[in-house]
Amino acid sequence: MKLAQRSNPVSSSGTPIPASALLWLIAAFFILLLPQWDRLPPWLLGACGLLAGWRWLVQSGRVGLPGRWLRLTVMALLIATYIVTVEGRFTVDTAASFFVIAVGLKWLETRTSRDFYVLFFILVYLATVNFLFEQGIFWTLLNLVGVALLLLGIQVLNAPGAPHVLAAGWRRLGGMFLKSLPIVLLLFLFFPRLEPLWSVPLVSDRGQTGISDTMSPGDISNLAQSSERAFRVTFADGLPPNRELYWRGLILDRFDGTTWRQWDTERPTRPGRVSVDSGLEELQDNEYDVLMDPSGQRWAFALADSRAVSENLEEERWGLFRFKRPADTPVRYRLSRDTATLLNAGLSPAFRRRFLQLPAQGNPRARALASELRATSSSDRELVARLLTRFREQPYFYTLRPPLMPDDGIDTLLFDERRGFCEHYAGATTFVLRSAGIPARVVAGYQGGDPGANNEYLIVRQYDAHAWVEAWLPGSGWTRVDPTAAIAPDRIESGLREAVADEGSFLEEDWTSPQRYGDQALIRWASLQVDRLNYQWQRWVVGYQGQSQLDLMSRLPGNIGMKELGYFSAGLVAFGLLVAGLVSAWKQRGILTRDPYLRVVAQWRQLLERSGLEAPTTATPSQLADSAEARWPALRGTARAFARMVNSHYYGASAGSVEPAQRKADLARLKRILGVNRRILRKAR
Amino acid sequence: MLLKSVRKRWQGWVNRRIPRSDTQQFVQNNIFILPTGVGVVFGLLLVVMLLTGINYQNSLIYLMTFILGVVFVAAMHQTHRNLSGLQLTLVQTGEGYAGDKIPFVFRGTRSKEATLALELRYHDQVLAQQHIQPGESQDMTLLARSSLRGYLVMDRVRVETRFPFGLLKAWSWIRPATAAVVYPRPLLPPESPIAEGDDGEADARTTSDGQDHVDIRPWRQGDLSQRVLWKRYARTGDMVIAEWSGQQGSPDWLDYDAFPGVEQELRLSYLTALVQQKLGADEAFGLKLPGEFIAPDTGPAHGARCLRALAVFGQHDPADQGAGHRGAMS
Repeated sequence: MKLAQRSNPVSSSGTPIPASALLWLIAAFFILLLPQWDRLPPWLLGACGLLAGWRWLVQSGRVGLPGRWLRLTVMALLIATYIVTVEGRFTVDTAASFFVIAVGLKWLETRTSRDFYVLFFILVYLATVNFLFEQGIFWTLLNLVGVALLLLGIQVLNAPGAPHVLAAGWRRLGGMFLKSLPIVLLLFLFFPRLEPLWSVPLVSDRGQTGISDTMSPGDISNLAQSSERAFRVTFADGLPPNRELYWRGLILDRFDGTTWRQWDTERPTRPGRVSVDSGLEELQDNEYDVLMDPSGQRWAFALADSRAVSENLEEERWGLFRFKRPADTPVRYRLSRDTATLLNAGLSPAFRRRFLQLPAQGNPRARALASELRATSSSDRELVARLLTRFREQPYFYTLRPPLMPDDGIDTLLFDERRGFCEHYAGATTFVLRSAGIPARVVAGYQGGDPGANNEYLIVRQYDAHAWVEAWLPGSGWTRVDPTAAIAPDRIESGLREAVADEGSFLEEDWTSPQRYGDQALIRWASLQVDRLNYQWQRWVVGYQGQSQLDLMSRLPGNIGMKELGYFSAGLVAFGLLVAGLVSAWKQRGILTRDPYLRVVAQWRQLLERSGLEAPTTATPSQLADSAEARWPALRGTARAFARMVNSHYYGASAGSVEPAQRKADLARLKRILGVNRRILRKAR
Repeated sequence: MLLKSVRKRWQGWVNRRIPRSDTQQFVQNNIFILPTGVGVVFGLLLVVMLLTGINYQNSLIYLMTFILGVVFVAAMHQTHRNLSGLQLTLVQTGEGYAGDKIPFVFRGTRSKEATLALELRYHDQVLAQQHIQPGESQDMTLLARSSLRGYLVMDRVRVETRFPFGLLKAWSWIRPATAAVVYPRPLLPPESPIAEGDDGEADARTTSDGQDHVDIRPWRQGDLSQRVLWKRYARTGDMVIAEWSGQQGSPDWLDYDAFPGVEQELRLSYLTALVQQKLGADEAFGLKLPGEFIAPDTGPAHGARCLRALAVFGQHDPADQGAGHRGAMS
């Protein structure tokens, strides 16, 4: 039986690969490598280029595919290089590298269309993996283009000799995409977003720039060299003035003489995914919505006196917020600003001791300054004010190029160099306050931010990183004290660019950053538009997860939960299939009746059936003529002529190449004969 | 055992669905469609992608999974449409000797859309990558291996396409009714009666002294011009035909009865070889089979007629039989 006959000498699995199909596959490979370019080691990218190029040369017949031993050698070489460079780290990046090596090696054994399909599958999954790392709208488009090229290559593989296979292939893909877009969108909206089925941390060893949990002199000024985005914020009621935007991230309260650290070390987290979605509900009056880029850390940045609104935040002591897991992907969260001040419940003795902690030794001049301030001030508040006045009135400088101050750094800063960045002044201020007996702590985070396009939202970048001080003042509790505001008010009012404009040190090492050229209107405008596009994309598409889905569903009538969503998606798929089936059935009908000859033949058949003759669809025109003539001798001649015309139309030597005009005339004649037959039959009845 | 009976039932069902006909219009109710192995792997890949999307809570992976999933469904329609609307007709059946491959010419026609990468398959014969453009037709020749002389009907020709992505295959069958004619395998008889005749030995049946036994009759439409007695026409103006009336015609008669005691098929093979010989030598000859006489003549048309008579000797054209009987044939 033919059904069982599977093995075939020329089956599709054994055919060689047409060159153009291979070319598209290679093109797709390089496009899909692009999103990985800064993640993959350069030697691997080079090796992939060589391997794919080798395969291409094989196609053009200039070299042969490597034999088994050469292939094994190349494989061993690549894997050895991989092992040496990876050094035993197991992260998503190294896994991705290994995956790419596998793809590269596969080029050397791509002989038949079966191998082609294997590569197709691997590359589709490579596109999937790319989405783990890059989710911007342009990267997404690039990935989709890569997949489209793959689908094109597959079409070429399946019909290499078809005329205009490329143009037709593109057209087919485009048509498919447009027609299926509604279903894709509905599925995207309604397919239930399940909780992760098992824990899969996205461990990346790529150094993520951002605030860290320690602060030494120079840390933040290094960070200020980066224009990478930290987070973006939409406020319900317009952008607040810059000076209010103190984004608190973490509190550094233990000082060892050079470095500020957190007293409580971070609790280890079990592997798992951070919840990235804060929902779609409209922002209430004093709410704001933060979309944070991946930081690899658990802390969330919030304005003072905020309350968590979205459920992916955990509120901690002193108005800090944490995620349940490190943010290895973009995370959206939502907070509300509380106008009420913090409760002044007082500071427990244990905490008072903690916030007065200082190393036993070092910085004697700063300690002396503290005693002097203490002696001349009647209250803590006055002491703080005097310290700030000192910063404001004496020649202290705010600079991105602070000198190195290795020994007794605080003394050197306060009394000798007088040049520093925010972390220097924040550390020194805390030190002085503590030695004067005022509980104080360093707060690390960001300050300010640039407005996005049309002032719709705020973009906070790494160069907005900031450190300031909070002091415990009787009667008002923890109070913000920012020495930088006293030294360089520009920094707080309008940002780092203005503050260091004279120095010219803004982003001096970052040549490619559009922010560096922020004073040029066109570049600024373009980069803001691109950012806005990506922001909306990130918020509404990338960030569309469980909470957003539930919020959206809660706006629809009915009580829609996960289960209903599942049913709905299944129904949607069924509905889509049904519609497509109906459309194609309708088209089918079109095909059958579009052929006027077939229609006339069908009429003839109907006529005979009505007259009482069995005229099965399987009977040929000649057979019909035979039986009709046998039944009604009056039809002799005309029935036969009808059959002859039909036959010559379909099976004649010139069938298919008849001029349209001739065809029309033939058809008219055929109809006339049918009319004659009808009249004869009417008479015969 | 069970498998066999299931297969038989399936086959019967398919045969009822696809009646024997030289013309087959492929439409919804006679096209079958299933995912290929590649398609199944693709489905698994989609599942893996969906799991990746769920576990990494990555909306874009969801999106891509949906896009590719819909591509799969769209491919189903594309593949189906690639076949549906195609009309395939057996336009010509070839002839040949038993053991030869007999050509069957199919004409594929499409009105509106194209059929690309069509594959016709008959047993081990594969005709791949046939493209039929809309409004055009394409002739495709399939060879069928013959073993016995007589009518050769193709049981089922599988018509398949995997276009555009190879993820799905849509297939159907055409079961042509018209038979090809397979001549007997030529086999030279051990002692050729023709050879004897050429020697001039007195064989009662093959005397060359034939002029006396000619029947003269008036010309009728359809008579071959070389049989017109032109000399007489020139003399008298009457167009008359010389008809070799009997066994003692001047051209050799190839006679079924010339091989007494030989088995029928062998006789036919002998006669076939002799016909070939005569044709090769361009001699006139006639063929005498039980119940059938073919008057002596020369030329390829005559040769074909004789060979055909030998081929179908004692057989009925299957195309003349009832539909029910035909259904059981394959």
